Amino acid sequence: MANIVEIALGNKDFSTLVAAVQAADLVEALQSPGPFTVFAPVNDAFAKLPPGTVQTLVENPPQLARILKFHVVAGRWTQADLKAQTQLDSLEGSPIPVRCHADGGDDFEVKNATVVAADIEASNGIIHVIDTVILMG
Amino acid sequence: MPTPTLSPTLPPSTHEFADIIHRLEAGGSMLPDSPENLKQIIGIYKAYAVPMDFYWRDLLYIAERVFLNPLPAFKYFISKDYLDRPNAYAGEAGSPRVWRGEDDAHPELREFIAQGEAGRKLPRIMHHLWHGRINMEFAEACMQSMYWHEDINPRFNAYLDSDDYKANADKAIRAYFKGNPAMLGLYKLFPEVFLEKVKQLSYYSNLGLFWEVMAPVFFEMSDLYDEGKLTTVPEAMDFLVNGIFAVAGRPIYHQVFIKGECYEIIPKSEGFTWLYEAALPYVEAIFYRTAPFRGTKSYNAQANEVPRDQADFHYGILYADLFPVGSAGIPPTLLMQDMMHFLPDYLVEMYQANSRGEDDILNQVGVTFQRSMYNVTSAVIQALRTALCYPLDDPNPRHLQANRDFFEMQIDRFKRPEARLRDIQKTSYL
Repeated sequence: MANIVEIALGNKDFSTLVAAVQAADLVEALQSPGPFTVFAPVNDAFAKLPPGTVQTLVENPPQLARILKFHVVAGRWTQADLKAQTQLDSLEGSPIPVRCHADGGDDFEVKNATVVAADIEASNGIIHVIDTVILMG
Repeated sequence: MPTPTLSPTLPPSTHEFADIIHRLEAGGSMLPDSPENLKQIIGIYKAYAVPMDFYWRDLLYIAERVFLNPLPAFKYFISKDYLDRPNAYAGEAGSPRVWRGEDDAHPELREFIAQGEAGRKLPRIMHHLWHGRINMEFAEACMQSMYWHEDINPRFNAYLDSDDYKANADKAIRAYFKGNPAMLGLYKLFPEVFLEKVKQLSYYSNLGLFWEVMAPVFFEMSDLYDEGKLTTVPEAMDFLVNGIFAVAGRPIYHQVFIKGECYEIIPKSEGFTWLYEAALPYVEAIFYRTAPFRGTKSYNAQANEVPRDQADFHYGILYADLFPVGSAGIPPTLLMQDMMHFLPDYLVEMYQANSRGEDDILNQVGVTFQRSMYNVTSAVIQALRTALCYPLDDPNPRHLQANRDFFEMQIDRFKRPEARLRDIQKTSYL
């Protein structure tokens, strides 16, 4: 089975994310055994950020790495597992609020992002695809 | 004034400041949109940017060069290198180039340093003694406030308390006092005193790096207004929102240059960012909290006139009564005086036309500044809404409700009787 990085590399919707992970020097970390849960923003999510945001971050790898680590959680958390959770601790250190079927509906949201594809299995974790880059605070 | 449109899917807000909530939901500012308000805030941004161009340069000069000088009598006599130091966000090499102007010290600032208030070229020491200079004490008061309200910057402060930081500071302290047995002896006896001073210098660097961004932002806004390209208050706010995002990831660091060698006290690799470790703590510490200014009013702490909890401090510009605050020598007045030297003609004419003319110009500058800072705070609120909540035109009613809850929570802070949000809605507030 492919690992998290290999899955991202194989999907053109993640080209911005892949470039960011490479710029932040996090490829090796995300290829390690983990397991990790990654909330992976699609290209459109990065494009929604105001102009210049991504460029400044790419020019400053440690700062970019911090934002990317906010999208990663230790452990393999499936959508079903997250029903019982209200927040997870990100590798960045700040908590990520999660809202999964909270009112018996079909919503699956991570902070202010909506999960558009859940439970993509990888050899070293699981990926949930999100429509918005999430930020700490 | 354009009428804000209500979101069709939410009932009207019942908040005490419902009109302002609806205006924020329509992409507006806490400050009403009018040509008069726009003129005031842009004029004062320009007048603020010139001294700010000195503040950031001198803050970094002190943090990086003056460092632990035990008698820093000349810390406000900034070196030529720091006046020439390229602003990272202006000039040809600016990335991003926020201001289309040059990257070294602003020409009006250079002229003021040369001529002072006297309007004559004299040695800097003479201007200094006659107080024809930029009031760096204001910048230092802001730094002190950020340093003192330590709960608002937990990650940065945790690093200042870390072993890594202590080791970096120790290396720099020993290098700075190499060959000075008296100071090294004092350091051995009272290491915490020296470390505390270095922590404070790290806040000099933090604030300097914060203002290095804001000065070109304000210069560019002023130029756009003069060119007729910034025509409404929401446009001015949006420019600030975009500026906040464009530089959000700028590293916040502290380096010191000792005998030609660079010592990294807070390395860029720690990942501290302009938005989280400088801008947001600055807004909370300066716009909202600060501390009561000496000489403006007597507070009886035993009668609970001073809040027990620092988070309840609300003495910032958003709450200030500009009349008592307009006393000589206190930080806000120092800023008003600095700005008074660089007012655009259209603001001077406006002040002259008001009832007391130039007799109460510091007060009038203060009120204009208050209006402009409500607009900056609006930009911060909208930027946080963009980062943490949802688009204003989100079709999901639950998301719109989350936006409303966020706006109402922010505006709740202005329910306090001393808040000036009500006042800035009126043109008669002078």
